[in-house]
Amino acid sequence: MTDLVLKNIGKTYPNGYQAIPSIDLVIEEGEFIVLVGPSGCGKSTLLRMVAGLETITQGDLLIKGNRVNDKEPADRDIAMVFQNYALYPHMTVRANMEYGLKNRGVPKEERQAKVTDVANMLGLDELLDRRPGQLSGGQRQRVAMGRAMVRDPKVFLFDEPLSNLDAKLRVQMRVEIRQLQRKLATTTLYVTHDQVEAMTLADRLVVLNKGKAEQIGTPMELYDKPATTFVAEFIGSPSMNLFDAMMTEEGIVLSDKTRLPMSHAHRGSVIWGIRPEHLQQSDEANADFSLQVQAVESLGAETLIHGLLEDGSGQPKPMVIRLAGPHLPEIGSYMWLIAPAKHWHLFDAVTQQRL
Amino acid sequence: MSVYFPQKKLPYLLVLPQLIITAIFFLWPAGQAVLQAFYREDAFGLSQQFVGLENFVDLFSDPLYYKSMLVTMVFSFSVAFLGIGVALWLAVMADRVIRGKMVYQTLLVWPYAVAPALAGVLWWILFDPNIGPIALFLDRIGLHWNHFLNGDQAMILVVISATWKQISYNFLFFLAGLQAIPRSLIEAAAIDGASSFRRFWDIVFPLLSPTTFFLLVVNLVYAFFDTFGVIDTTTQGGPDGSTNTLVYKVFKDGFIGLDSGGSAAQSIVLMAIVGLMTVIQFRFIERKVQY
Amino acid sequence: MIENRPWLKMFSHFILVFGVLIIALPVWVALVGSTQPEGSFNSGSVPLWFGDHGVQNWAHVLFAEAGSTLQIPVWHLLLNSLIMALGITIGKIAISIISAYAIVFFRFPFRGAIFWVIFMTLMLPVEVRIVPTYQVIANLNMLNSYSGLILPLIASATATFLFRQCFMSIPGELVEAARIDGAGPIRFFFDILLPMSRTNIAAMFVIMFIYGWNQYLWPLIITTDDTYYTLVMSIKSMLSVPDGDIQWNYVMVTTLLAMLPPVAVVVGMQKLFVKGLVDAEK
Repeated sequence: MTDLVLKNIGKTYPNGYQAIPSIDLVIEEGEFIVLVGPSGCGKSTLLRMVAGLETITQGDLLIKGNRVNDKEPADRDIAMVFQNYALYPHMTVRANMEYGLKNRGVPKEERQAKVTDVANMLGLDELLDRRPGQLSGGQRQRVAMGRAMVRDPKVFLFDEPLSNLDAKLRVQMRVEIRQLQRKLATTTLYVTHDQVEAMTLADRLVVLNKGKAEQIGTPMELYDKPATTFVAEFIGSPSMNLFDAMMTEEGIVLSDKTRLPMSHAHRGSVIWGIRPEHLQQSDEANADFSLQVQAVESLGAETLIHGLLEDGSGQPKPMVIRLAGPHLPEIGSYMWLIAPAKHWHLFDAVTQQRL
Repeated sequence: MSVYFPQKKLPYLLVLPQLIITAIFFLWPAGQAVLQAFYREDAFGLSQQFVGLENFVDLFSDPLYYKSMLVTMVFSFSVAFLGIGVALWLAVMADRVIRGKMVYQTLLVWPYAVAPALAGVLWWILFDPNIGPIALFLDRIGLHWNHFLNGDQAMILVVISATWKQISYNFLFFLAGLQAIPRSLIEAAAIDGASSFRRFWDIVFPLLSPTTFFLLVVNLVYAFFDTFGVIDTTTQGGPDGSTNTLVYKVFKDGFIGLDSGGSAAQSIVLMAIVGLMTVIQFRFIERKVQY
Repeated sequence: MIENRPWLKMFSHFILVFGVLIIALPVWVALVGSTQPEGSFNSGSVPLWFGDHGVQNWAHVLFAEAGSTLQIPVWHLLLNSLIMALGITIGKIAISIISAYAIVFFRFPFRGAIFWVIFMTLMLPVEVRIVPTYQVIANLNMLNSYSGLILPLIASATATFLFRQCFMSIPGELVEAARIDGAGPIRFFFDILLPMSRTNIAAMFVIMFIYGWNQYLWPLIITTDDTYYTLVMSIKSMLSVPDGDIQWNYVMVTTLLAMLPPVAVVVGMQKLFVKGLVDAEK
């Protein structure tokens, strides 16, 4: 059963600025959808349109089959976790969690049972009588989630909920959110600019760029077959190496020195890409090209090598490779590399679309 | 904040009480003042006659009005400079001590709560030519004090009374300003070899300049408009107009002289002055943000 | 300070103590004078130590009559002052807080114009427009009445400004969270905004109470019936005595009584008061 449907949803501000031209998205019950993109891409606007905090100027928003475009946020059966948590500073944790239920006229015993339940689940029992000011960042985050959970909403909305936490806590909360969502099986819409968060949490990802959905799919679909150069660069870290190239009868011509044999119907300018982790070291005889080493980042389990690809144009192109284990090539030395054909990505140079 | 409630009628209901009060007790009288400024009333208040700008012409050709302006200037700047100077000195001292800062604050802050009228009475007692300990002491060292007869002495009395009340206000702002100066700046200056005297003039005082300027404006406004009580209880503008400030003159001409047209014209001029000062104050507050 | 020089600290303390004493001097003299028997001033300076008429003088002023020109006990004037000060304080806070709420949390036509009308009241202290305001009150038959004492003084841009500033610092997400929690504007106002603004309201209360209590000119001109006199203004009639025969001991008692309540409020709620003052002018 579909839970949440965005049909041709768009937003144009009164001053004529079109924040979101049109987005279609069908979300199944219990699905975890992540909206990801750089800042200003419209992801938060879209989330707030679903919440009812921004007006929808075009299209239909359906929750469980009902059109809710013009309903107040409180009547949409959604709950939201804010970036700054937005906890009421003068209320205790308990009062914060209860407030939405109270406004809906839920009787006191029921409210308290609900709060106790959720507090239990989140490990907040000890904190119920404290105020937000007395809590740590992680605890506040948890209270914000608790406040959303007590209501048993049809849809959870998260607006960059982890961005105010330190790195270690962020990883921990990420895992926790995923587990909770699995357990509750509540449809979730989650906004982030962090692609690692997006990849690890999502059932499906929506990559947004300038208000348009560049691609919608599972994390692995996006990783394996990015639909556009934007997605290719956005997903994966370090990001994909992209080069301007020509498609000819002999194959792909990166430069005078580098030709990669391939048969493809397309002719003309293309963009050729390969992920850093898919490049392999080889000997001179078998190599596709060589790389002059510029910098080495040793991370223990893996090594990132930044280098320059000589293409004879006098303007060497930067390239990153990622190798398992420790490596210590000398700065300035040359490395011979193979780019396996199955890992190539080809994009149209004009439309930036995948070929 | 960019989040609003969507209700359309409720906000009007919410601003209504304030608007009604403003309209009845502010816009209406202000309009009346403007109207009256162009009319002249006979001595019995029975008839009114349109006289155009004559009230203003009279006002600006009246040497007493210029005298009152001068008195206001002398009074206001004396109060402002004296109040700011003393308060700054006390605040620097209080910032220096570690123990008892709050006690000093409490002991210095309470005059703020005293009504200007009462401040006038309190200092009058000290300076009363018959019973005032200070006046009698001055007499003994050969300085005859009688602020009922001597205009300069009357001015000194009202300046002291008005300043006394305002020191606490200035002190609070200077202390807050001093405490907002990062310790590291002072420490850096100390490492650069600046003496504590140099540190004050080179670092502390320039950093306090927004506060000082702000207080200058506030003190001038205070001396202009909020010191009616001081003057009315002590000198009533006298002797011979030597403490007759512009605000006091509006009252005197309007209620005692019963010259409603002249008083209204003076009100208009004062409104212009307040407007100007408010604009300066707000310009300054906008600018202060960058500091 | 950076250097730990004991003499510097001693000097600071010395200056501060000196300042405190000078500031307190007039009150000390008034306090001492208020305990002297009538007529003791004719013979010279105010004595610098307490006399034995303290209880007698204070009781006379409080419960019998304030003086020969004001045959009304001071407790009655205290009551009037309290009514006026509280009326002004509560009225100001109430109308300012709701208008600030409308201006910050709603968008409506003429919002800017309304804001400017309110802003203009900031520019016109009652002292400046005293004559026409008096006429308006006279036309409305509000001379010698509590409403005449209170209403013209409760329109205040200062309080509206303070609340506006305080409301603007409330994060928008909190409003959104409340909307999602099903709170409309009224509920948001009472459940979230008011409790969150508690300290600001209290600070405003202190400042406005002092403002209201210390009003002088306004009650002076609109009250002619001494049952509506306030304490601060009543001092005037005790001082304007024919041939300068002022009953100084009673004047001193009345002065001290008139300054006692606001001073107690400032000292007792010093923290709130300082916060209110410094915030209001930011």
